[in-house]
Amino acid sequence: MEKFLLRNIENPNSTDINEYIKAGGYKALLKAVEMKPADIVSEVRKSGLRGRGGAGFPTGMKWAFASADPKKPRYMLCNADEGEPGTFKDRPILEKNPHLLIEGMIISGYALEAEYGYIYIRGEYPAAKDILDAAIKQAHEKGYLGDNVSGKGVRFHLYVHQGAGAYICGEETALIESLEGKRGQPRIKPPFPVNEGFLSKPTIINNVETLANIPYIIEIGADAYAEIGSPDCPGPKLYSVSGHVKRPGVYELPMGITLREIIYDHCGGIRGDKKLKAVIPGGISTPILPADAIDCPMDFVNMPKHGSMLGSGAVMVFDETVDLVKVCYRAIKFFEHESCGKCTPCREGVGWMRAILERISGGSGTAEDIDLLIEVSNNITGKTFCPLGDGAAMVVQNFVKNFRSEFEEKIH
Amino acid sequence: MITVTINRKKIELEKPVTILKAAGMAGIEIPTLCNHEMLEAYGGCRLCLVEIEKMPRLQTSCTQYVTDGMVVWTETERVVEARKAMLEFLLINHALDCPYCDKAGECDLQDMVAKYGPTTGRFAEGKRRHPESFEDPIIVRNMERCISCTRCVRMCSKVQGAYAISMVNRSNKTFVEPFSGGKYDCEYCGNCLTVCPVGAIMSRMHRHAYRPWLIEKEVDTVCSFCGVGCSMVLQVRGNSIVRAVPKKGAGSNKGLLCNRGRFGYDYVGSSGRLDSPMIKRDGKFQRASWSEAFTFIADRLKKIKDENGGSSIAGIASGRCTNEDGYVFQKFMRAVLGSNNIDSVASFGYAQAQRFFEGIFGQGVTANSMRGIPNSDGVFVVGGDPTAVNPVLGLQIRAASGKGVPVVAAGYMPGLMIFATSRLIPRPFTETALLSALVTELRDIKGISGKGPFDILINDIPSVSLGEAEEVCGIPSEDMRSAVDALSRMTNPSIVIGRDILQQPEGQACLLLLAALISLLNSRIYLLSELPNEQGLVDMGCLPDMLPGGRHLSVESFRRRYEEFFGVDIPSNPGMGIMEMIEAAHDKRIKALHVMGEDLVYNMPDSAYVKAALSKLDFLVVHDIFMTETAQLADVVIPSLSWAEKEGSYTNLERKMQLVRKAVEGKGMEEWRAVSEISKLLGFDMDYKSSVDIMTEIANVSPLHKDIAYADMAGGECMWPYKGEPLRHGMSLEGIEMPDKGSLLKKPEKDRIYIGIDKPLFHFENLSRNSAALSSIAPEPYMNVGKALADSLSLAGGDSVSVSTGTGSLKLSVQVDPDVPENSIMVPDNFGDKGAYTIMKWKMNSAIKAPVADATGVTIKKIKRAAEEVAV
Amino acid sequence: MLSENAVKEIGLIRNKYHDAQSSLLPALYVVQKEHGWLSPEALKEVGEILNVPKAEVKGVSTFYAMFRHRPIGRHLIQLCTNVACMIMGSESLLNILKERYGLEPNGTTGDGRFSLVVMECIGACGTAPAMLVDTDFHDNLTEERIVNILEKYK
Repeated sequence: MEKFLLRNIENPNSTDINEYIKAGGYKALLKAVEMKPADIVSEVRKSGLRGRGGAGFPTGMKWAFASADPKKPRYMLCNADEGEPGTFKDRPILEKNPHLLIEGMIISGYALEAEYGYIYIRGEYPAAKDILDAAIKQAHEKGYLGDNVSGKGVRFHLYVHQGAGAYICGEETALIESLEGKRGQPRIKPPFPVNEGFLSKPTIINNVETLANIPYIIEIGADAYAEIGSPDCPGPKLYSVSGHVKRPGVYELPMGITLREIIYDHCGGIRGDKKLKAVIPGGISTPILPADAIDCPMDFVNMPKHGSMLGSGAVMVFDETVDLVKVCYRAIKFFEHESCGKCTPCREGVGWMRAILERISGGSGTAEDIDLLIEVSNNITGKTFCPLGDGAAMVVQNFVKNFRSEFEEKIH
Repeated sequence: MITVTINRKKIELEKPVTILKAAGMAGIEIPTLCNHEMLEAYGGCRLCLVEIEKMPRLQTSCTQYVTDGMVVWTETERVVEARKAMLEFLLINHALDCPYCDKAGECDLQDMVAKYGPTTGRFAEGKRRHPESFEDPIIVRNMERCISCTRCVRMCSKVQGAYAISMVNRSNKTFVEPFSGGKYDCEYCGNCLTVCPVGAIMSRMHRHAYRPWLIEKEVDTVCSFCGVGCSMVLQVRGNSIVRAVPKKGAGSNKGLLCNRGRFGYDYVGSSGRLDSPMIKRDGKFQRASWSEAFTFIADRLKKIKDENGGSSIAGIASGRCTNEDGYVFQKFMRAVLGSNNIDSVASFGYAQAQRFFEGIFGQGVTANSMRGIPNSDGVFVVGGDPTAVNPVLGLQIRAASGKGVPVVAAGYMPGLMIFATSRLIPRPFTETALLSALVTELRDIKGISGKGPFDILINDIPSVSLGEAEEVCGIPSEDMRSAVDALSRMTNPSIVIGRDILQQPEGQACLLLLAALISLLNSRIYLLSELPNEQGLVDMGCLPDMLPGGRHLSVESFRRRYEEFFGVDIPSNPGMGIMEMIEAAHDKRIKALHVMGEDLVYNMPDSAYVKAALSKLDFLVVHDIFMTETAQLADVVIPSLSWAEKEGSYTNLERKMQLVRKAVEGKGMEEWRAVSEISKLLGFDMDYKSSVDIMTEIANVSPLHKDIAYADMAGGECMWPYKGEPLRHGMSLEGIEMPDKGSLLKKPEKDRIYIGIDKPLFHFENLSRNSAALSSIAPEPYMNVGKALADSLSLAGGDSVSVSTGTGSLKLSVQVDPDVPENSIMVPDNFGDKGAYTIMKWKMNSAIKAPVADATGVTIKKIKRAAEEVAV
Repeated sequence: MLSENAVKEIGLIRNKYHDAQSSLLPALYVVQKEHGWLSPEALKEVGEILNVPKAEVKGVSTFYAMFRHRPIGRHLIQLCTNVACMIMGSESLLNILKERYGLEPNGTTGDGRFSLVVMECIGACGTAPAMLVDTDFHDNLTEERIVNILEKYK
C-alpha cells in the first residue's frame, strides 16, 4: 500500500518545510481554502473517517456538532498526549512529519472556522515539541499560518502546549482542563467540548493521526478515501507494534488488516521463533487476547466481535516466556499511578487491585485473592467518572478470564 | 412540564433539575458525599448512583438531569450493592478512629456506612499514613480521614474565593493542603468545616470539647459581628456556647459564615466579663447591688438635670445593642432626661451616608437585598473593603466577579483585588478627583435623563478630565478610561459604599459625586455597616434629630405623636452629635454622659483627647460587658448582656429585621431593663416585662414599624418597608454644597505619610481582643505599607517599626502590600492602646458631622529586622 | 527569584493564550528548566505573575508527574518501566543503576550527578527499553549501553 501518513519520513530532512512541499505537501491546504468550510466538513463526514485516538468516534459527526454551535471563538485542539502504554504511533508524525499534522490542523481550523489551534503534546516527547515549534515557525514564514493563510484572508494561529506527565489528559475534557492550567481531571459531560470546551468555547479535539488523515481526504477526495481498508471504518491506520516480534515499529496499513498479518507478515513473527502466548491489540487498556485469537480484523467495528478493541492500534506481543501476572500487575500499577483521584472507585479501587496483584505476583496470594480481585474489579466497572477506571478493571477481568491458570499457579 | 418517576413516585417539574434535586423535592433521600447545595456538582464520590430505566450504566444523580418520562430507581439491589462497594472503597484509606474523632455522630460517612456499608472491609494492606497537622491555630487537618470529595477546596475557591487550599498530588496520594503545607494563609471563614462530610478538616476551637449528641440546645439567632447579620445556630451545653454554625440555607448568608461569626463568640464566656454593678468611690470601683447602682445613677442624673437642664446630659448608644435597647434608651434620653443629645458611632459614616442618599433618592433607597449583587450587571465599590467589613456581603461581590460581572474597585481593598476587573487606587484623600472624573465622563456618555433638581445639580458638578484627575490621584488615565468603559456598559449595577469615603476633608463632596454616579448609572446602593445594628440605631431614633421611624423631630406632627404617646414634651431642637458631645464634655458644656455599650476611648480617634474629655464630666455611666477603657473612667458601670444572652432584634444593612435569641444566661442586665429601672427611679414608669413588650410599643408608635411583631421576623425575610408605609418620597437637596473644582482637585501634601484605618477581617472593634480564637489568628497590631514607601524606608515584611505622630507612637510589625495607596500606611484600630486611633487626631467635617481622622507628621522608624527566614 | 529572562519568557508565553492560567504549565516548565525543580517560592512567584492563587498553582503542579518539587541532581534519568520496557529488560537496568551509581528511584547520587525517576510509558515501546536523560532520548538500552550513555553526562 502506498504510504500517506508516513510518506517521506525516510528522508533525513523530512521535518523541513521545503522537503515536505517538494513531496506534495500543503497542496491539500491550497485546495481546501478554495472550498467552503461547510463543504470540507461534509467531505470529512462522507469519508467515514473515525477518530484514531482510541474511541473511533466519527470525525465528521464531531465536526458537524461543533459547526452547529454559533459561539466564537472556536478552538481546534490536537490531542498529542499519546500516553496509552504500547502506543507510539503518533510519534513518527510528530517527529518526522510535523507539517502533515500542521497542514491537517490548518485545514480543520479553516473548515470549523476556528482561528486558534493548540497541539497538546505529552511532556514525555520533548524532542517532538521542539520539532513542532520549529515547523510551526517555518509554516508562519511560508504564510500557511497567521492572519492571512495562503493569502486567502483566513486566520489560523497554532501553538504547541506541553503536558507534564498525566495519562488522564488523553481524555479530552481532562486535556482541556490541563490546557487551561488546571489539574487534569475530566469534566462532567454534558456540556461537551464541541459546545463548551476550552475557555468555555466550542472546541474540537482530534487525535494526531486523525488530523494527519485530513489532507489525504482533501487530496484524494472522500470517495476514494472511503475505498481504503474496512468499509465501516476506512482509511490508512498506524499500528505500533512492540514486544517480542522480530521487527517492532510503526506500520501504516489499511484498516481491518488482521492481527496475524501484522505480527507475522509485517513484523516478521516472534523473536527467536518462540511461541506466541498473548497479544494486547490496542494499547494496555484493551482486552488481552490469547495466541489463538489473532485472526481478527483490526478495526473499530470488528475487534469487539472478537473479544477486544482496536484502541490506539498498539499491538503488544508476548511470547511464551512472559509472566502475564506480572504484566497485569505492572499494568494496574500504571493505572493506579495515573488515576486522577476524582472518583472513588478508580482512586481507591485500582490501588486495591494493585495491592492484590502485588500479593499474587509476589507469591503471597491466597486462594480467595483471585475472586476478590475480580469482585473488586466488578465493583469498579460501570461506576467510574471516566473510562480510565473502567479500563483498569477490564484489564484485570480479561487477564484473569483468558489466563486464570497463570494466576492460580502463583498461589501456593 | 417534565414528569419523572422516582421509586414509583411521580414528580412534576417546571424545568429540568438533577435527579438528586428532583428526588429531594419528593422527599426521597439519595446519599451523597461530594455534592453540596452550596457547591456545583462534582460527580466524584459515586455514592448517589441510581438506576435509570433504558440506561445500561448506573448514573450519578447529582449530574444527571431528569428528562420527561424518565423512570428512576434509587434503592434497587444493584444500586445498594454499588453504594456498599463505594463505601468499602472509601474505607480503604479512611482512618477508622471514630471513637475519638470529633465528627463522630455527625459524620456523613459514618451514617452511610451504618446504613449501607460493609461491616468489615476486605482491604488487607495498610492505610495511607498522614499525621494530623496541628500547625494552624484554628484548623486541624487530618488527611487520614479525607475522602477526596473536594468540597472544602471547591468551597474555598469557588464560593469563598480565598483559594487557600487545594488538592495536591493525584491518585490515591491526593489530599487537601494549604500552600504552606502547614499553617493556613487564609480567611478562616471555616466554611470548609461546614462542608467537610467527615472529620478531615476540623476546628481546633472545639476539639474534643464535646460530642454532637451532648449538645443540650441549639438556638437560632443572627451573628453580631457586622451589619450583615448572618443567620446562625448557637450550640449550647452547660450554659456555654460550644459552637456557632450556619443554618442550612437560612438568611442572607445561606449557609456561609465568616471567621468572626464562626469563631469569635468565645468572648461571651471570657473570664473578663463584668458580673456586678460597680460604683466608683474615692477613685476606686466597688461592687454594688443593682438597686444601689440604679439609685446612685438616678440621684446623680436628677441632680444634674435639675441644676443644668436636660441639655447638659448626653447619651451615646451602640450598634451592638438591639433595637429594643436603642428604642428604650432614646425614650429615656428624650422623655425622662429631656435631651436630644443622643447619637452613636453610626454617625461616623453609615447614618450620614444613608441620610444623604435618602435625601436625594427617597427613604429606603439603601434597603436592598445582598443577594441582588451577583445578579446585577456591574459592581462599583468604594470606601472600604467589603470582604473585611461585611465579609459575607463581600462574597456576593466575589460571586458576581465569578459570574463574569465587571467589578470596579476604587480604593484599598485587598480582599477584592484578584476579583476586580478595574483596580483604581487613589492617593490618600484624593477620591474626589477620581470620582469627579468618572462623573464627568459618564455624564458625557450617559447624558442626563431628567430635568429634576438633582439632575441640574449633576450638571453643575465641575468637569474634571481624566488627565487632571490622574495628576491628583495618581491613577493612570487609561485605567480610569477602562473603568469608565466598564461602568458605562452597566445598566443595573450595584454600588457598595464604605464609611471611609465620608471620613475625609471632602467627605460631603464624595457623597455628592457618588449620588451623581448612582443617578447616572441607575444603581442600587449598599452601605457597608460595621456594627450589627447600625440601621437599628437610625430606625430607633438614636440620633440627635430623628425620632423612631426615621423622621425628623422638627416635623411637628411627628414629634407630637411621640409626645402624646410618652405623655411628656420632647425638646424640639436637635441635640448634639457624638463628636460635638466629646467636644462639649471637654468644654464642660455637658455634665453627664450616659454610654450604652460603646468604648469611646478606643473606638473614636484621638484616644487621649476622648479620655481627657470624659474625665472632665461630672458624671459618667457606662453599660458594657467588659471593663473597657471607657468604663474605667465611669462613675458607675452596669454590666450588660452580650448578644447571646438576650432576646431582641437587629436591623441589618439590607434593612431586614431579624431576631436575636438568648442562648446562654449571663450575669449582666439587658440595657433596656437597666435603663427602665433608672427611669422608674426618676419617676417615669417604663414597665417592660420583656423585649416583646418593647417591640409591641414600637409597632404601635412608629409608623415604619406598624404592626410588626417577632413572628414576622422569625421567618428571616422581614424586609423594609415591613408593614408600614414609606414615610417620605420627595427629595430635599437642602444643605448640599456644590464643591468647586479646586476642592475636587486637592493634592495630598508633599512628603507626608498618611495613616489610614485598616479594617481587618479578623477583628471587630475592640471586642475581638477578648476572643481567644480571633486573637490567635491575628494577635499583633501591624502596619500595611506599599512597596515604594517600604523600599524608601528599607522596610521588609516582618520588620518591627515604631510609628509616631505628635500624639503618640505605636510599635507595629510591617506587612508589605503593593496595593496600599501611595505615601500612606494602613493601621488597624482594634488593638486597644496599640490601635491606630490612639495616635490620630480628628477634625470635624462640619457638613456631614463625621470625623476626619488623620495624623500629621507621621514618622516611621525601624526597630528590628525580621528574623532571617530559615530555608525549608 | 526567577531570572529576568524567565519572567520575560513567561510574558511571551502568556500571549499565546486568551487567559492567563492557561500559560501555567508552560510557565512552570520555564522555571523548572532554569532551576531544575519547582521550589515553593518559584510556585508563588509564577502565581503572582499569572494572577493564579499560589495554592492553586501548587495543586496544579503536583498533579503532574513531570514537575519536580524537590531539588534534583545535575542530570535527570527518566527510565521507563512500563509493560513494553519491562518485558524487554528495564528491571535489569534499574539494578545496574543501583549497583553502579547507588541510584534508587526518586533518589539522587551522592555527588549530585544523577537523579532517577521511574517513568510510565514514554512512547518508545518499539525500541524498548528506553529512557530520557534530561531531554535526550535513548532507546534499545542494554546493561552495557546504559552505562556507556550515562558516562557522557558529567
